Amino acid sequence: MRSLVAAVLGLCLLPLAAQAQDDHRLRFTAMGLAGQQLVQSTAADVTDKLSGHVIGFEGTMIGNPFMVRVRYGEGRINPKPESAAEARDVVSGEAMFGVRALPWLSLWVGPSARAYTVGESDQRWLVWWGRATARGTLMPGRMQTFVELGGVFGGNVGSPAVKAGGRMASGGLEMRFGAMSSFWGRLGYGIESLHADGLRETVETLTLSVIYGLPQ
Amino acid sequence: MNRFLAVALTVVALLVPARAWAQSAASLLEQGVRAYTVREYDGGAWLLRRALAVEGAEALSNAGTARALLYLTATEVARNQRDSALASARRLILLDPRYQPDESFPQPVLAVYQEARRTAPSVSIRASGDTAIRPGAETFVVRLGSSTSPDVTANVTNAEGRVVRTLFSGTLRDSVDLRWNGLDGSGKVPSPGRYMIQVTPRSQRGSAASANWTLRLPLEVMQPSIDTTPLPPAPPDSLFRPERGSSNAAVRALVPGLVAGAAIVVLPKIVASGENASSARLIVGGAVTIAGVAAFFSHHPGQRIPANEEYNRNLRESWQRNSQEIARRNADRMRQTRMIIRPGAPTLVTSAETP
Repeated sequence: MRSLVAAVLGLCLLPLAAQAQDDHRLRFTAMGLAGQQLVQSTAADVTDKLSGHVIGFEGTMIGNPFMVRVRYGEGRINPKPESAAEARDVVSGEAMFGVRALPWLSLWVGPSARAYTVGESDQRWLVWWGRATARGTLMPGRMQTFVELGGVFGGNVGSPAVKAGGRMASGGLEMRFGAMSSFWGRLGYGIESLHADGLRETVETLTLSVIYGLPQ
Repeated sequence: MNRFLAVALTVVALLVPARAWAQSAASLLEQGVRAYTVREYDGGAWLLRRALAVEGAEALSNAGTARALLYLTATEVARNQRDSALASARRLILLDPRYQPDESFPQPVLAVYQEARRTAPSVSIRASGDTAIRPGAETFVVRLGSSTSPDVTANVTNAEGRVVRTLFSGTLRDSVDLRWNGLDGSGKVPSPGRYMIQVTPRSQRGSAASANWTLRLPLEVMQPSIDTTPLPPAPPDSLFRPERGSSNAAVRALVPGLVAGAAIVVLPKIVASGENASSARLIVGGAVTIAGVAAFFSHHPGQRIPANEEYNRNLRESWQRNSQEIARRNADRMRQTRMIIRPGAPTLVTSAETP
């Protein structure tokens, strides 16, 4: 059901993005993504390794100099053969507010949430991020790269809530599908490590994305 | 009643001079001749000068001008204005060296005319009235005459005295038609303004006795404004593409690729030290690095870029074609436009009169 909602939302964003291309004040990009997720989950000094596929979407509204980005993803991760952990459903989302500090540097702040469902129980991470994204052009209008770094400045996990912290990094390559095409492809890698009292979640994600509109 | 009469006389007195100014040159000439006949010399001189001053379509014909000058000479003799009489006689000789005054004029008048003939160089210049020509296609004709076959040079000069065009240089036998096509020496249409056809004797070796004089025919050149299209400016440098690959641009493409690729590989160690990061980072980091290297070579550092060379060549040729087409259209418009040349009264300056 949630996948259906995500797909519908993604499809709804596409025409919005197309309509906004004519508006010089604001630009929109819409992105559909699919990826492989590797999770190392440590609790009470026991580390479980899980992996699985996720799908999701991302939408960005780009103004000058402010930007807003929302991202949603969900999937199911399964334990590696050597792990005794149970399979989990994963849902994650974030909403970031950004500002373009330099032509190649954007700063972001906003919350993200990640929830695991194991059987009848949930584990929810809710953290506030500060992030910086650097972009570089390899071929003007054809190919660009980016690197994003972030740190948690507030957050919690579980109920009752336990204070959480963490760091993240991501990077990748974006290529235009054609010289005049509105579609771009992205190969991305990200790693996010969150920790709380006795808990540690490290999530690596390898994603392939299709972007409509010029990426910021 | 007396007041009404006074007003009427005042109006008539005011209108009479205005009417005199508005009269044609031929009418003024006849009135001047009549005034001379009835010995009203002052009024006659005024009327004859007015007749000679009329320009354009109402101006006197050459025969009329000659008659007016002869009567003006006679009038000035009668007024004891010998210098003015001589000047009028010289103008008459300039106009027509072969002119023979009527023997019925008093002997002093004929004597002044003969004196002017003796002292004046034997050259004359005669132009028709206002002439409209298409520069380069038609000509403005002036007849230069002489009875002594002098060597002369005839130039068109501008207001500053600079030679615009040489019309004739050689021995003047009897007469020659000077033809000016309205262009200067470089084939361009000179700007409207005051010009002059200046005839001077050519200096000859061993001919110290040759006369020193200058015959001038003032010309007023007018041209209606021509609506020409300005030539397009040359394309700015910003429109040209580099014809050789820029090393700087190549490096600027390489550096982000290398930095981002290395960062993707290394950063997991910083973000999640102690964890075993997967090989996915190597895939993405390697792809970014390879893309950076490919971008470096795509800029062809230091190499010729034939596509850009062709683009720049087309840009230049397109601008040149456009400029040539506009220049051709402007030239067509210039050729279709007529230049109006209005000759004035010729003057002769001899060595004695030259400052």
